Amino acid sequence: MPISYEETAKEVLETVKRMGFDQAELYVQDSQEMTIEVSEKTVENMKLAQERGLGLRVFSDGRVGYSFSSDLSPEALKKVIDKAVHNSKQSQADKARALPTPSASFPRLDLYDESIFQVAVEDKIKIALDIEEAARSYDDRVVITEKAVYQESKYSVSVFNSLGLAVSYAGSYCGGYGVFVAKDGHDAQTGFEMRYVLKYRELDPGSIGKEAGDKAIRMLGASPISSCTMPVVLDPYTVTGFLRVLSSVFSAEEVLKGKSFLKGEEGKKVGGSQISIIDDGTMPGRLGSAPFDGEGTATEESVLVKDGVLQGFLHNSYTAVKYGRESTGNGVRGSYKNLPEIGITNLYIKNGSMSKKELLRDVKRGLYVTEVLGMHTANPVSGDFSVGAAGLLIENGELTVPVKGVAIAGNLKELLLDIDAIADDLTFFAGKGAPTVRVRQMSVSGA
Amino acid sequence: MDRKGIEEVLKTAMRFGADFAEFFWEHKETSTIVCENNGIERINSGIDEGAGIRVISGTGSSYAYTNEVSLNRLLEVAEMAGRALKSKDAGIMEQLDFRTPVAAFEPFIEVPPEKVEIEAKVEAIRKANKAARGVDKRINQVTVGYGDIKQEVMIANTEGIFVKDRRVRTRMSVNAVAAENGVIQTGFRSVGGTTGFELLKNDYEPDKIGEDAAKRAVLMLSAKAAPTGKMPVVMAAQAGGTMVHEACGHALEADLVQKQLSVYSGKKGDKVAADVISVIDDGTIPKKFGSLRYDDEGYPVQKTVLINNGVLEEYMYDYQTASRENRASTGNGRRESYQYRPIPRMRNTYIAPGKLPPEKIIKEMGDGLLVTAMGGGQVNTITGDYVFDVAEAYIIKDGEIGPPVRGATLAGNGPETLKMVEMVGKDLGYTIGICGKEGQGVPVSDAQPTMAVKELIIGGRFAESRKNAKIRRL
Repeated sequence: MPISYEETAKEVLETVKRMGFDQAELYVQDSQEMTIEVSEKTVENMKLAQERGLGLRVFSDGRVGYSFSSDLSPEALKKVIDKAVHNSKQSQADKARALPTPSASFPRLDLYDESIFQVAVEDKIKIALDIEEAARSYDDRVVITEKAVYQESKYSVSVFNSLGLAVSYAGSYCGGYGVFVAKDGHDAQTGFEMRYVLKYRELDPGSIGKEAGDKAIRMLGASPISSCTMPVVLDPYTVTGFLRVLSSVFSAEEVLKGKSFLKGEEGKKVGGSQISIIDDGTMPGRLGSAPFDGEGTATEESVLVKDGVLQGFLHNSYTAVKYGRESTGNGVRGSYKNLPEIGITNLYIKNGSMSKKELLRDVKRGLYVTEVLGMHTANPVSGDFSVGAAGLLIENGELTVPVKGVAIAGNLKELLLDIDAIADDLTFFAGKGAPTVRVRQMSVSGA
Repeated sequence: MDRKGIEEVLKTAMRFGADFAEFFWEHKETSTIVCENNGIERINSGIDEGAGIRVISGTGSSYAYTNEVSLNRLLEVAEMAGRALKSKDAGIMEQLDFRTPVAAFEPFIEVPPEKVEIEAKVEAIRKANKAARGVDKRINQVTVGYGDIKQEVMIANTEGIFVKDRRVRTRMSVNAVAAENGVIQTGFRSVGGTTGFELLKNDYEPDKIGEDAAKRAVLMLSAKAAPTGKMPVVMAAQAGGTMVHEACGHALEADLVQKQLSVYSGKKGDKVAADVISVIDDGTIPKKFGSLRYDDEGYPVQKTVLINNGVLEEYMYDYQTASRENRASTGNGRRESYQYRPIPRMRNTYIAPGKLPPEKIIKEMGDGLLVTAMGGGQVNTITGDYVFDVAEAYIIKDGEIGPPVRGATLAGNGPETLKMVEMVGKDLGYTIGICGKEGQGVPVSDAQPTMAVKELIIGGRFAESRKNAKIRRL
């Protein structure tokens, strides 16, 4: 359980105050991690990690300075204070940059599972081995294990500030993933599956391996189809890829800077009427859940899109002041090395009312997309994207032959509006979740 | 940490029976500055120190790291790493006889970034911002990023290698956004290298970097949609080496080759590219972003000829992949930080220049597409299929450069593309990037001369997806 950093924090904050700074904040993070990779029934790599560090943010009349250190010795802390103070002098003054208004209360969340750390290492190795076994025995054409992995982590986060905030929490998670290659003659296809959970008992290695194996096998013999415009169905994993791009589009900071295509669209229809998009840091059992964000503000459920209408954006304390509203608790930090930036907690698309089968049933000829290539090149400013895609052909409501080597291009803004059906199979991949989604039509370029 | 302490750590790691143990310590000081909305938005500086211990036994390996670097804690971590690999017989290690290999390359840092006041760095950033905004009134947002890093490392292993090194890198990038009538286009330019602040004092002018980015954004406003389909393509040297990085670089990394995850597996000695093509990965080029004195396993980096006049000669090896083949590492063992085990990675990868003047190549091309700036890319190393973004391109008609086009993506197959190269220019242009593999980002640069490729697919067909290797442009 977390070591208390309260004494250290008190000293640092007092020193900064004596130097004439009205506000300061100390963020401390402590984490441990273990990764086990197996291949061909033996442990190939095992990784054990321990890391801790702190970051100091100081404010003076809207000028911010930041500095971090992994060394927590008194000499290092002195350096951190000097650097943060020095850095603040060169930054642009902006009155909106200040500590957040303290939250009245925090959500109660059960994020830590001690049982993960009571299980013997041998049993965890077995989980990775089981992932491999399930994939390799799924079909004898699954011949290469690129990776079969078990992973676990525990961490603690504390935030202290000169407004008297002193909060901390601990969390943990475990999970696994598998990447396998299936071969048939000269054809080689990769299948990937991952699952992360908060509770050890929820792990199901067999299904991870089986899914990964199935994904590789079903793509064997894939070929391009000829170019056309057709309905496109995106599987949950593919949709979360699009959500990654959307996470910056929903950031109030990007909106303020004119770098989001949703600027000025509040209250307007931005998506098909079935679609609701939510960011919720208070969800039980989810990896992105936390009682507070990287600046100590309570997390909450933020409805971003409701029945196709844009409700609002994700905020941290800075954009909240700019908008004259409260922070949504999305001042996220990847690490103590970074300042809090707007980020997601659990970002997901709400379940629709039909099954995946029903959703596919109305498609006479379309493309069921299971993988996209080059999503990181999509442009959140214009919404334009052009990605490589692979998946299965839909014919008369059934998934038939595998397809690869095609491109789907379009604009995210238009894609959201073109969504005409959402299934009820919401699936989470770490902090992002989505059900199967159908797009009325998209341009698919192929052979 | 001293040699004695490190020796004790290595011996502890070996105590449970192993073939190899390695100690990697690093102390990193970084500064990053971001200017956006016409003001300095963020200045962040910090210290990151930690150590990682790797143990190899047979085909298995373990890696443990901590950023609490007292000798006691490191001995605990060494024991953890050692115990994680259960071996039949415990071993007692003899005295270690440390030696430092001779480096083939000595970087020279003229102006160490830590000796430069933050005010001077901010000044350079403001200049770039101002110049970019001054290019055209349609420029409505400019982001300037600056970063410098001083990394001190100590690497030691049970083969007796002991290396202490200091690495310094500085970079600056400018992203400009231009908007007109609802059309938004972006332009970027980045510079960086294993240099100090001389990068922005002597080597490049911050104003020019800003201007270049802004001009590209404005130019793209008037560009028409790129044509699609198969056509001849000239890649200008200034576009840099994304293609060589993606098209063959990753597939020549020994870990992927050995796992049969590369299209080039088992092809040493085979003719894999046109006669005019030689591909080299060289970590010893002064000032380049991927240059190093020693790699992250303590081996001196070298100039490695991968493809020589079309024939595949060599892969890129780290210690582990090299020992599997009973050979020496090529000095390509790299890692992002003490938090990662080293794996085979590129350094500065390029296609060697030929003899033709670039203008002549464009003339002889007749009709096609001239690519002058590339964005990011991605590759499927099993099949060699790649895709990358084109940031700036022009139509070539009757050997003359025509109007600019936008929105193009190039797709192709690495081995096929390298066989279809018809002409190679005498010039050479570099780009820098952070190359990602297995979740680890390392600084690289890549380059190519102006080249004519018989045909590539523009904005059309793509490879199937596979996310094991992609590059993010800085």
